[in-house]
Amino acid sequence: MKHYVVRRLLQLIPILLIITFLSFGMMRLAGSDAVLQRMENTGMVVSQEVIDAARAELGLDKPFLTQYCAWLGNLLRGDMGTSYISGQEVFSTFISKLPATLLLTVVSILLTIVVSIPLGVLAAVKQNRLTDYVIRVASFLGNSMPNFFVALLLMYFFAIRLDWFPVISREVSLQNVILPALTLAIAMSAKYLRQVRATVLDELSKDYVAGAKARGVKFSVTLAKSVLRACLVTVITLLTLSIGSLLGGTAIVESIFMWDGVGKMAVDAINMRDYPMIQAYVMWMAIIYVCVNLITDLSYRVLDPRIRLGGAKS
Amino acid sequence: MKTEKRILTLLMAVCLALGALAGCSSNEEASDGGTAGTTFVLGDTTFNAENEEPDVNPHNAYSGWACIRYGIGETLFRYSDTMEIEPWLATEYELVDELTWRITLRDGVTFSSGRALDGQAVKECLEHLIEVHDRARGDLMIDTITADSQTVTITTTEPRPTLLNYLSDPYGCIIDMEVGITEDGIVVGTGPYIVTSLVTREELNLVKNENYWDGEPGFDNVTVLTISDGDTLTMALQSGEIDGAYGMPYASYPLFENEDYTFSSTATSRVFFVHMNFESEIIQDDAVRQAIAMGIDKERFVEDLLDGNGYPAMGVYPDNFSFGGDAVTAKGYDPDGAKAILEEAGWVDTDGDGIREKEGQTLTIRWLTYPSRQELPLLAESVQATLGEIGFEVIINSTADHNSIRVDPMAWDVYASAMVTAPTGDPSYFFSTHCLDSSAVNNGHYHSDELEALAAELDETFDTDRRAELAVEMQQIILDDNAFVFCSHLQMSMISQSDVTGLVAHPCDFYEITVDLRPAE
Repeated sequence: MKHYVVRRLLQLIPILLIITFLSFGMMRLAGSDAVLQRMENTGMVVSQEVIDAARAELGLDKPFLTQYCAWLGNLLRGDMGTSYISGQEVFSTFISKLPATLLLTVVSILLTIVVSIPLGVLAAVKQNRLTDYVIRVASFLGNSMPNFFVALLLMYFFAIRLDWFPVISREVSLQNVILPALTLAIAMSAKYLRQVRATVLDELSKDYVAGAKARGVKFSVTLAKSVLRACLVTVITLLTLSIGSLLGGTAIVESIFMWDGVGKMAVDAINMRDYPMIQAYVMWMAIIYVCVNLITDLSYRVLDPRIRLGGAKS
Repeated sequence: MKTEKRILTLLMAVCLALGALAGCSSNEEASDGGTAGTTFVLGDTTFNAENEEPDVNPHNAYSGWACIRYGIGETLFRYSDTMEIEPWLATEYELVDELTWRITLRDGVTFSSGRALDGQAVKECLEHLIEVHDRARGDLMIDTITADSQTVTITTTEPRPTLLNYLSDPYGCIIDMEVGITEDGIVVGTGPYIVTSLVTREELNLVKNENYWDGEPGFDNVTVLTISDGDTLTMALQSGEIDGAYGMPYASYPLFENEDYTFSSTATSRVFFVHMNFESEIIQDDAVRQAIAMGIDKERFVEDLLDGNGYPAMGVYPDNFSFGGDAVTAKGYDPDGAKAILEEAGWVDTDGDGIREKEGQTLTIRWLTYPSRQELPLLAESVQATLGEIGFEVIINSTADHNSIRVDPMAWDVYASAMVTAPTGDPSYFFSTHCLDSSAVNNGHYHSDELEALAAELDETFDTDRRAELAVEMQQIILDDNAFVFCSHLQMSMISQSDVTGLVAHPCDFYEITVDLRPAE
């Protein structure tokens, strides 16, 4: 087990090298650069000499490989560089965005669990009855509406009509996180409750459920102790994928609610060709996904002993 | 049934928890910033590092815009509503000779630090500016500055007729260099408000300057919030969390066109325009350029695609400039006339496919533009339709990579872009950057001997009336050559709650929060 974890973590090194190299190259292929983007935003024209000087200052005049090696060398010395746009340190900027992203991730995942698992189970238990139909229609609606639309609807009703929450959620607090988290949770819950319903239905059709019923075991006991436990592997797989995606930030929701997380930072960095910031984000995403997948695999072993890790022979 | 009840109970508990959290919320703090007295909250889409405005230090990039817009700093001269230079911190100037300007400063002005504004303070500020700010150094061409009590004498390295215009640029805000510039980019100016805190891309907090020289500021506190999303800005104004908004999306305007809000709009010198590529064989044909100029329906573009939120352009400058608007004549939308010109030049549709040909070449133009200005892709689509009716095939390339493409004269025929043509109110900027052999972005390689001669004269002309005449003549030359087609000017609007007065849009876009901003009586 220890060897397995260490081996998986060591795999991060080539992954990081490959994806940072690829992203570095792809950003150059996308054209333009931070100097030109800034000039375009201001709507002013500056001389080629000024542009060249600005490029030289940022090191953008050097060949691609030289730029990448310089960035990598600095990274190995613990220096992620400074933002081309704000001039602030990339590491400290990135770290300052993490609390908002973590809080949004935790609250939206909790809301998703609270909504999707009970409703998914209820829909399965009441299959093809009114409750099931209502839940499925709600799920269909939730899946159909894009995040930005849900965000605007919530904002309109809860912030403008009811005045329960502020439109601007720029301070990272439990109160301000509710609307952005709810926006994300609605879309995720709509997707998950159908998965939960399908998994529960699958389990309910198995022989052991009929056997338990024949032996007089209460249905609620079978549901809670056997069926739900069996469904957990599916649910955890879905949730961990979502956690990975949420930790990478949700640019649209963050922008609309002015929630200052890493997603909005990443999109701004891409728009402005802020390469050091983009590289930091790419590394963050790689680390998240490797770690989240590792934790998921480990959790399978705990939840379902039939699953062996690291290719161990049964 | 029991399971259902449990689940319903759980969901109700979630709702109650949400309600409880909502109960904790309060919009009061947002609207008053947690400070005493009256507070004005402005939502602004542009105050951020992406626009080179990371702070309010006028000596840093374009941060001077934030310094002057939010009432922190003031310049020696300023622009009137008709974009003419008028005194501000200065009272008068004297052109001693072509290289020497003597500027007299206003008495009784103090920085918010308490220091009196005098010649020495201005000298320290301008010397620091040209030391650290490349653009200002190139614009101002200052050789020496000498201070004597309330007088400053500036000599330039070469004749600089536009010196006062450049001193009115936001980078020319006079700040107290004895206090200096903090690490956060906070400065001390002479304006009606004083910075108390600044978080880049988030918020700027200001308090009233009790010793302001030009009257009493109307609010005790001002907060500027950077709100990059247009929908959020809209809802924040609707909910009353902000009192005024800059950068509202056009689509939201109807929500505020009622008695609860005050609109202030003006035409700015930001223009959406077309460059012709004189290296392109097809564009070298006079008839083709003329037909393009006559085939763009500016009125319909503004009315239909921009929902009326713009002004059809005649020339380089809008009509609030003395040398703008109808001071020049440009070809209007005339599809029949365009067709006749093309026919006469030999461009005819021989195969009936709707696209004209001449000597085996189809009338196809490659239209290069970019999407970061929402108006430009709309303009491209509008032109594709109207020129299509005349017999053109328009191939649109709307790309963020336009800057690298436009430097290759073989890669495009027509380039549509947006720019501020007169940021300092003076006409020379557009010509010097776009139309001359020496221009930085004359990517279409346009050349006119007559224009070059007039530009040389403009560079040496100090008389403002003559400068205006030259600007008209020069515009007319490029319009007659169909070297550029000016489609529309940006309408800049600011919206405020009806209980606020004095948030007024200005054609130069520099002045937002002024001493006149106050609660309505």
